[in-house]
Amino acid sequence: MKRRYHVVAIPIRIVLNTFGDHNPNGMMYVLKENEEKVKRLVKKNPFMPVDLVQPLFIRANEGDTVEILFENKLPFHAGMHFQEAEYDVCQSDGANVGFNKDTTIAPCEKILYKLHLLKEGNYFFSDLGNVSSDQNGSNSNGLVGGLCVQSRFSWWTDPETGKPINSGQYADVHHPLLPSFREYVWMFTDEMEVNDLTGNRPINHFSNQEEESFHGANYRYEPENRREQLVAEGVVCPNCEGEEVHHDSWVFGDPSTPILRGYVGDPAKIRLFHGGVKGTHVFHYHVNQWFSDPNDLASEILDAQAISPQSHYTIQPLYGLGSLQGSFGDAVIHCHLYPHFVAGMWGMNRVFNTLQDGSQCYPNGVPIKSLKPLPDRPAPPKPTKMKPGFPNFIPGKVGMKAPRPPMGIVGGRGLTELERNAAIANPRPGAVFTDPCPEGAPVKEFNISLIEIPLMYNREGWHDPTGRIYVLDEDLEDICLGKKAPEPLVIHTSSHTRYEINFTNRLPHILDGDAFQLVTRTYEAGMHIHFVKFDVLVNDGANVGWNYDSSVLSGETIQYSYYADTELKAWFFHDHLFPGSHQQHGVFGTGVVHPRFSKYLDSSTGVEVDQGTEITCVNPLTPDYRDFVIFAQDFTHLFNKDGKPLAPPPFPGSPDDPGLFGVNYKNEPLQFRLGKDCDPAYSFSSYVKGDPNTPIFKAYEGDSIRIRLLQGAQEESHSFNVHGLRWLSERGDLNSRLENQQHIGISESFTMEMNVPRAGDYLWTFETEEDLWNGLWGLIRAFDEKVPELIKLPDRLEPRERSKPVPQCTGNKPPSAADPTVEIVEGPLRKYDVVAFQTSIQYNSFGDHDPDAIIFALREDMEAIRDGKKEPVPLILRGNMGNTIDVTLTSYLKPELFPFKDGIYPYPIVKEQAFYPPSLRISLHAQLLDYDVKTSAGETVGFNGDQTVGPGESRTYRWYVDSAVGVCGMWDMADIRNHRSQGAFGAFIAEPRGTEYLDPYTLEPVTTGANVILRNPYLPDTREFVIVMHDGVRLLDKNNQVIFDPVDGVLLAPPEIDEDLLDTYDQGSRGFNYRSERLINRYRQHEKIHDVFSSDVFGDPSTPVFESYVGDPVTIRLVTPAERRRAHTFHLHGHRWRFGSENIHSRTESYVGFNVAGAKRNLQLLGGAGAYSGFSGDFMYRSGNIRWDIEQGMWGIMRVFEELKKHLPKLDN
Amino acid sequence: MTQQNECQPINLAREEGISAHFGQNIGKKVLILTEAFPFMFIGEIISVVDDFAEMKVQTTSIPALEGKTWFVHIDTIEVFYIETENGVPIPELKE
Repeated sequence: MKRRYHVVAIPIRIVLNTFGDHNPNGMMYVLKENEEKVKRLVKKNPFMPVDLVQPLFIRANEGDTVEILFENKLPFHAGMHFQEAEYDVCQSDGANVGFNKDTTIAPCEKILYKLHLLKEGNYFFSDLGNVSSDQNGSNSNGLVGGLCVQSRFSWWTDPETGKPINSGQYADVHHPLLPSFREYVWMFTDEMEVNDLTGNRPINHFSNQEEESFHGANYRYEPENRREQLVAEGVVCPNCEGEEVHHDSWVFGDPSTPILRGYVGDPAKIRLFHGGVKGTHVFHYHVNQWFSDPNDLASEILDAQAISPQSHYTIQPLYGLGSLQGSFGDAVIHCHLYPHFVAGMWGMNRVFNTLQDGSQCYPNGVPIKSLKPLPDRPAPPKPTKMKPGFPNFIPGKVGMKAPRPPMGIVGGRGLTELERNAAIANPRPGAVFTDPCPEGAPVKEFNISLIEIPLMYNREGWHDPTGRIYVLDEDLEDICLGKKAPEPLVIHTSSHTRYEINFTNRLPHILDGDAFQLVTRTYEAGMHIHFVKFDVLVNDGANVGWNYDSSVLSGETIQYSYYADTELKAWFFHDHLFPGSHQQHGVFGTGVVHPRFSKYLDSSTGVEVDQGTEITCVNPLTPDYRDFVIFAQDFTHLFNKDGKPLAPPPFPGSPDDPGLFGVNYKNEPLQFRLGKDCDPAYSFSSYVKGDPNTPIFKAYEGDSIRIRLLQGAQEESHSFNVHGLRWLSERGDLNSRLENQQHIGISESFTMEMNVPRAGDYLWTFETEEDLWNGLWGLIRAFDEKVPELIKLPDRLEPRERSKPVPQCTGNKPPSAADPTVEIVEGPLRKYDVVAFQTSIQYNSFGDHDPDAIIFALREDMEAIRDGKKEPVPLILRGNMGNTIDVTLTSYLKPELFPFKDGIYPYPIVKEQAFYPPSLRISLHAQLLDYDVKTSAGETVGFNGDQTVGPGESRTYRWYVDSAVGVCGMWDMADIRNHRSQGAFGAFIAEPRGTEYLDPYTLEPVTTGANVILRNPYLPDTREFVIVMHDGVRLLDKNNQVIFDPVDGVLLAPPEIDEDLLDTYDQGSRGFNYRSERLINRYRQHEKIHDVFSSDVFGDPSTPVFESYVGDPVTIRLVTPAERRRAHTFHLHGHRWRFGSENIHSRTESYVGFNVAGAKRNLQLLGGAGAYSGFSGDFMYRSGNIRWDIEQGMWGIMRVFEELKKHLPKLDN
Repeated sequence: MTQQNECQPINLAREEGISAHFGQNIGKKVLILTEAFPFMFIGEIISVVDDFAEMKVQTTSIPALEGKTWFVHIDTIEVFYIETENGVPIPELKE
C-alpha cells in the first residue's frame, strides 16, 4: 500500500510546561494539514503548552511504501532522514553525503522522499541539514519525529473520540486478527534551549544558580524546581520540602508531560525513541515489565531500559496495563538518572478501573477526558457514587500532600467507606486494592530499616560522612557498632514467594549540608521496588499522581507486600521520596529471586543465610552456584581523610557531575596502587600493594557463578567487563551471543551466568578510563586447591587438599607469568609477531594529529610505519574457530617519547588527577577468547604473574578460538592513563573454521587489515569491514596547538560555550580507526553546514570509505576498545541487521546503542550492501549523538557501487 | 542388538518405545524436561493414551500449574527420568 504525508518543517515557539518555560527558537515537523492551526494556537497561547506542539508521530503498516512530501520553511537547508527504512540513498536520504545527490532542501523548497517499510517497528527521523550541536542546531531544538510501523492491515483511531487520526502521540491501533492495543509514543528530548517567562534562563530557586538543562519527553518537562517554588512560596502544601511531592497530583494537579491513559488489562505498546542529542537515558516504568525484544520470548525481561541518542525500543508491558496483578492507579514513567528526573523528565501511565466518558472530574475539578474502551475488550464498569473509581475514592485534599495508604502504617488508619468499596474482599497491609500474591504462596518476612552511618570507601580514608543504607533490623546493632561491615543490602528468596516487608525509617530528618549539597529536610522515606508484583496505589514506596504517598516519617514502620512470580534477576529497591538528595549516599539494595526450592549458604561457613552480596546457592535440580552482587555508584560524595571534598561540584546542590565513584560502598583508586618503582603496569597486582579493598569474589576452579550487576546511583553510564570469562547475553537463550561486557545505567539489573574454567585471578572492571582510575575494579578469585574461607559447591567434587601456600603480598614486582607455549598444541597454530611503539598519527587531511601515539602493529609493518610509508591503523588480527593463536608482543616504547614524563597526563583529564608516570611496559589483553588468565590475559592482575613487557622484552600469549564470536577488542592493560586512548588498542576477529582473508583490491591473502574479503568453502564470500570506534584522544592541530574537543569542534558556536555542559568524560577528540573527520575543518573551508558530509565539495573523508557492490554480503565488526564514559550510538544509513546475529527471531534495527569501552557487535547487513532493495550510493555510518560526536568526526562512508569498477574486483558468489 | 524393522521409521520406533516404557511404569514418579513452557514436570504417571502420558503433576516451574492432571505428548519430551527401586530418588522439592 502507498501512503502519503505532506510534512512541513517550521520554526515554532515551544512552551514546555504550564509555568511558561519555553524555547523561543523551537523547530518542528508538522503535517501540512495542521500547520496553520498550530501556528494560530501558539500565537494565542504564548505561555501555555499547545497539544499540537509535539514531535511529529505518524503511522504506516509493514510492507507500505510511504511518500513524504517534505517542505522546508526553516531558514536553513533541512531534510528528513529515516532510520530503519529502505530507500534510494540518492533520492531519500535526507542528507548530503559523499557523492550522493543532496537530499536536504533549501528554505521554501520541497522534495519527495520515498520509503519502503519492510518491518513493523519504530522508525526514528531527524534532520541532517544542520548537525550543529549548539543551540543553533536543528535536532536539539526539536526537529525529530517518529514513524510507527504497525502489522499489515492495521488501522488506528483517536483514543478520545474513536475517530481515525493521521498523527499524534496517542492512538488505539486495531487489526482484523490481532488484539487492539493502546499505542503511546514517548520521545526523550534533551538539551533544548529554555527560557523562563522573563526570557532568561530559568534559575533554581533553591541554589539561586542557573537551572539544570532541559530534559523532557515529547517537548514537555515538569521540573522539580518549578513545583518546589510553589511550595516555597506558600502556594501549596505548606509543610512540604519539594522532592517528595514532585510527582504528586494532589498538590499540583497533573503535570504537562505525557500521561498515558488506559484501562486495567489493556494491551499496550510504548514506542520509545531517544530524540535527544547527548546523554544516555534510562527509561523506567513502574509496575510493568517487558521483553527486551517483543518478538523473542527467550529475550530478557526488563523493567528499566537504557537508551542512547537516536535509538529506540518497543515497550510492550507483559499482561497489559497494570501487569499480572491488575493494579490500577498512576505508574510513573521516568528517566531514572536522578538529575534528569529532577529536571523534569517524567510522566505517567494512568490506569483507570472505571469507564471514563468525559463526565467525570479529577479531585481538583479538572475534567477527565473521555477514553474509549478498546473495541475487543469489555468496557470497565461505569463509576457510581459509592464506587467512583480511581482516583475519586482516595481521601486526599487538593493542595496538600497525598494521603498515606490505609492499613499499611503500623498504628495507622483503616479504610474509609469509599476505600472499602474499592478494595478487594480481604485487604491486608500492602495489598488493599489488588492482591498480587496467590493463595498459599510461601511467605518470607524481612524487617528492614534505613539508617545514616559514615561509610569508609577505601584504606586511604576516603569516606562519606553521611552514608545512608538499608539494613536488616537484626544487623542494626552490629553495623552501628562496627562489628559488621556495611554493604548494600541484598536479600535472597526463591520464586513463588510472598514478601512481607516491615520497613522502618530511621533516618534523621535532616540531610546535612556540605560542599556537595545544601541542607535538605529528608523527613520521609520508603522502599520502591522493581520487577516484583504489587499494588501500585499503596505499595509503590513512592508518591505519584493521585496515588497514596506510600512512605513513612522518621520513626514509623510501614508494611509492604510483594510477590515474585518467577525466577527474576535481582530486583532493585531504593527510596523514591528523596532519591535525588540521598540515593548517592547509598540508599539502594536488591532482592535476588532464585529458582524455586533453592537454599542459600554463607560461602565461608555453609550456614544458611537470607542476605549478602556473596553467597552460595544450592538447588536440588539445577547446578549449584556462587551468587555475586555488584552495585556501581557515581556522584558519590567523598571526603579524604583530612576532610577535603573530592571532586566537589561548582556550588553545593549543583547537579554538575559531583563526586566520585564506588562499587558496593568501596573503591580502589589506581593512584594508590603504585609500588616502590611507581610502575602503573602493576596497579592491579596483589603482590605489590595487596588485594584491593573492593569485592574479591571467591570460587573454586570449575564452579558455576552468577553475577548480579546493578547500578545504585546516580546519573552516568558504566561499562562492566570481566576479563577472561564470558556469558550468554540473553541468559535464557542459547542462540544469544557470548559477551563479557555490559553497559549499565542506574536501576538496570543484569544476571550473568558462567563457569570459571580455570584457577586464577579474573579482573572485573568498570572499564572506562575515569571509572577505572577512580577504583571501580576488583577480582573473581578461583582457587585450584582447598581454602578454609570457602565451602565447596555441594554438587561438585571436593577440591584438592592444599599443597602450597596461597600467595601473599610481597611489596615487590610480581614474578613473571609462566610461558604458555610449553603446552603441546592440538589443531592449527597461528602465530603473530606484534610490536608496540610510539609514532605520530595523522587523523585527517586538515593536519589534526596525535604526535605521541602508541600503537600495536605487525613487526613486518613497523619500519614502513615509522618511515611514513605506511599509515598507522589499529591492529586487526584474525583467527578461525579451532585455531590456537600465539601472539608474541615486543615493546619498543622509549621513555623520551612520552610527552608527560612528570606523571600527570594533562588532557583529557580524569577526576582526581594524580601522579601516575607513564609505564614503559605494555601488554595486549583480548576479549572473549579462551585463555588461561594466569599466562595469557595480557595484564598483571591479583596473584597472577607478570604478563607485561618492558622495552626490548617479548612475551607470547596463547589464545584459543573456541567459538566464532566475531570481533573482540584488544588493548593494553599496563597503563590506562598513558597508553590506551593514545592508540594502544586493536581488534581480534574470531572467524568460522576454514576462513581465508583476502585483500579486497588484490584478492591476495592478508594477515591484517580493517577491510577484507572472507572466503569460506561453506559460506558466501563476504566483505568484512572493521570499525573501531574510540574517543578520549589528545589531538594537536596543524599548528601544533592542542585541540580542546568537543568545544573546539562545535559548529555555529556562540562566542562563549557553557562549560558546565561538559563533563570530564566528554573531553578529547574521537573518531574511527585512528581517523577523525572533524566537521569544523570542513566548515571553515566552505561555510554551508548542509554540505559538510559532501565528497563533491571536500573529497572523501579521512575515516574509512568501505567499498562494495550492490548485494555483496557484508559483515561490519564494530568495536569500542577505548575510552571515555559517554556512550555513543552507531547508525548506518539505509541498512538493518539483526540485534542477535545468530537469532532469526531477533528484531532488526539500524543502530547499535551503548558503544563504550569494551562494547563490540557483529552486524550482518540484511540483504547485503544496498539492503534488500539493492540501492547503490554512499551510505553514511556515524554516531547517533548529535552533540559532540558527529561534529567531532565520528562519521564515514560505506560506498555501494552498482557498476563494476576497475579497482574493486567483484565477489565470486 | 535388535534389527530395526525396515518398514518402520526410526522416530516411530522411538515413540513406541517411550510409550511402552511409560506404560510399564504407571504409578511411578517421573521427572520430565520439555523444550517448551513450562519446561519441567515432576509427578506420577497415571496412564498412557496413544502417545500421550497422563500424569498427576506435583511440581513444575510454575506453581499455578501444579496439582493438576496433565497430558504430555511424548514428542515434546527432551529428557525424562523415572524413579525406580534401583536408581537415585527424584528429589523432594520443598519451599
